[in-house]
Amino acid sequence: MSASLDPRLARSTSADPDLVAMLSQLFDDYRAARSAPREVIDFDAELWARLDELGLTRLTASEQSGGSGASWFDGAALLALAAGAGAPVPLLEHGFLAAWLLEAAGLPNDGRLRTVCRPDPAGVALNVTYGRDAASIVALFEDGDEWRVADVPVDRRSITRGRNLAGEPSETVEFDLADLAAGATVEEEVGEQFHLRGALARCAQVCGAFERIVELVVAHVREREQFGRPIGRFQAVQRLVADLAAEASLARAATDTAVARATDSDWTDPGLLFAVGVAKSCVGHAASVVVRNAHQALGAIGTTLEHELHTLTKPALARRSEFGSIHEWDETLTRLATSAGHDRLWSLVTTGRAAPPH
Amino acid sequence: MTRALVPPVVTEGPDLTKLRLEVRAFLDDQVADGRFVPHVDTWLTRWDREFTRELGRRGWLGMTIPTEYGGHGRTFLERFVVTEELLVVGAPVAAQWVADRQIGPSLLRHGTEEQKRAFLPRIASGDLVFGIGMSEPDAGSDLAGVRTRGERVDDGWRLTGTKVWTSGAHEADAFFVLARTAQPDPADRHAGLSQFIVDLRAPGVEIRPILSMGGDHHFNEVHLDGVFVPDERVLGQVGEGWRQVTSELGFERSGPERFLSTFQLLAEAASAMDEGRLPQDVGLGRHVARVAALHQMSFAVATALEAHAEADVAAAVVKVLGTTSEGDIADYVDTLTATGWVEDEELYRLLHAAILQRPGFTLRGGTNEILSGVIARGLGLR
Repeated sequence: MSASLDPRLARSTSADPDLVAMLSQLFDDYRAARSAPREVIDFDAELWARLDELGLTRLTASEQSGGSGASWFDGAALLALAAGAGAPVPLLEHGFLAAWLLEAAGLPNDGRLRTVCRPDPAGVALNVTYGRDAASIVALFEDGDEWRVADVPVDRRSITRGRNLAGEPSETVEFDLADLAAGATVEEEVGEQFHLRGALARCAQVCGAFERIVELVVAHVREREQFGRPIGRFQAVQRLVADLAAEASLARAATDTAVARATDSDWTDPGLLFAVGVAKSCVGHAASVVVRNAHQALGAIGTTLEHELHTLTKPALARRSEFGSIHEWDETLTRLATSAGHDRLWSLVTTGRAAPPH
Repeated sequence: MTRALVPPVVTEGPDLTKLRLEVRAFLDDQVADGRFVPHVDTWLTRWDREFTRELGRRGWLGMTIPTEYGGHGRTFLERFVVTEELLVVGAPVAAQWVADRQIGPSLLRHGTEEQKRAFLPRIASGDLVFGIGMSEPDAGSDLAGVRTRGERVDDGWRLTGTKVWTSGAHEADAFFVLARTAQPDPADRHAGLSQFIVDLRAPGVEIRPILSMGGDHHFNEVHLDGVFVPDERVLGQVGEGWRQVTSELGFERSGPERFLSTFQLLAEAASAMDEGRLPQDVGLGRHVARVAALHQMSFAVATALEAHAEADVAAAVVKVLGTTSEGDIADYVDTLTATGWVEDEELYRLLHAAILQRPGFTLRGGTNEILSGVIARGLGLR
């Protein structure tokens, strides 16, 4: 279909189909071979090594910095498929944020496992995912009027271990302020972009979880029989499933749109704040429907530790609240909409900017 | 992975943006000149044949009709952006709506050469206004229950029966009628239906208003009492009516009229919040986000339709989500207003119309209950 598109009218936003096929196979195999779900999620070093071999751990980082130089279309596909398999690896933290920050700061990257965080003025960062597993933590620090990036090795910070809602490693990290102040300065835009990149990458992951949830739910309601027929034959159940699948589709459309705007402009499009906000809002509110309806359709078995469903629903809920709550993003969108006002709202909806492009 | 319900999003190219801004500038001038007053749900409720003709003169009607039939040979994507701009500004587009959206494409697909030459140029110029006659008192969602019958006579057919909810029949020139031309076959309920092109001024046609709950006249009951339709006004094949009417549903269900009917109210609410006429509330951002995502999803479906891809399920997804959202906007703004406390005529004019129109959003063009079934079928559940 995309081959017939006239680029003056519309442009495709799809990831490389060969890459998607390879990733689908890889994560299907991973899902089939892994052991039963547990209440906690620990870093999978073996999977990480395999992903590293394939050049996937820093897929979107530039080739000069040791990355694979792929587009965010490809990157979003990787995040989604990995999340759909509940893969316990910090792809986003290491490959999409830490690698990018180091590059923006002109700092070297030896490729060892990194996670990322934004410490407060006292040097404390909360909910640092996979902090215990990282060789080094990349901190983005607002130092007075300046933004700094510091690559702080494992032995130079204090970690209090924790777990997030999904059961992933999620730590409190206390930095030595001197280490943060010694970081390389970066442009102010890096600080703003960090938030956008993180939020959008989380959206891609949640979309991936949604898509696997749709598969699980459809398979279950076609198979599970009550009253002498598959429960998917009941209209009430069909409605549950149709609604969750429709919400997942809307979340996907919003996320892909923001990814396209980011990719096409190399993150410089002034309409990105709106686009990422739309993705965050649609994904976040969709999660309410998808998680609720999926658990309802799956019945009691879906609430058990042994079932795959929670490996998707828990991370979906944990991740929708990262890089800004749904409420904060709805506030941002409200602010953009009210300042656009009656006459410019449609321009905002279509381009992310209140004034039409010239 | 199961196949995605909706095709992947595409981004708008420069030629479409240029066209969009051209249409927008024209419409801004029309509003500034007082040529029309922006409103909600204008594709059903606002008729203005002169405005429709002006769009025809500008080449914004019958855009996808080939030039040899008086159209403009443009793509569905170009039509899509023009349609969006007309809807968001709340322009009076009801007179052209059915002809531009459904009748033109149906004639192109099923019509004879003579029919195309007789109707398409006047659709593209905005001179010919069409309605559509499908629903009946006993055939709503279940169209196979159509009872209007066509009886074979010399050189044509005689139609007898009653059509309901025919939007604008009292203003239109002609309408498409779905009628039974063979006895019902219990083994194939959809067999034996045929489509006819019926002159609404023909002898035997009687049009009675069905007033909506706000007192407005948009819908009609159309009685056909042995109305003669010549053979050359049968559309497509006798007995193929069901296949013909369902083949165009993707266009009817996925378009921007399925999520933009209340956009004027949303826009007015944004200003009202900015100016303190409504309280600041994050629900505004949430609704704006959904409209933005639906805009992208609807455009993606239009791209698939342009490429002749199957899109019935995707269209159902757009329609279920979009019509629910556009109705929710009306209810949302209503929950923010305090009648008797704030004097705000413009907001209330739009809000009250939106509240009264809302029940129809999720009924017309296939109820959301039927469409959820279409989605469920797309997922393999039935």
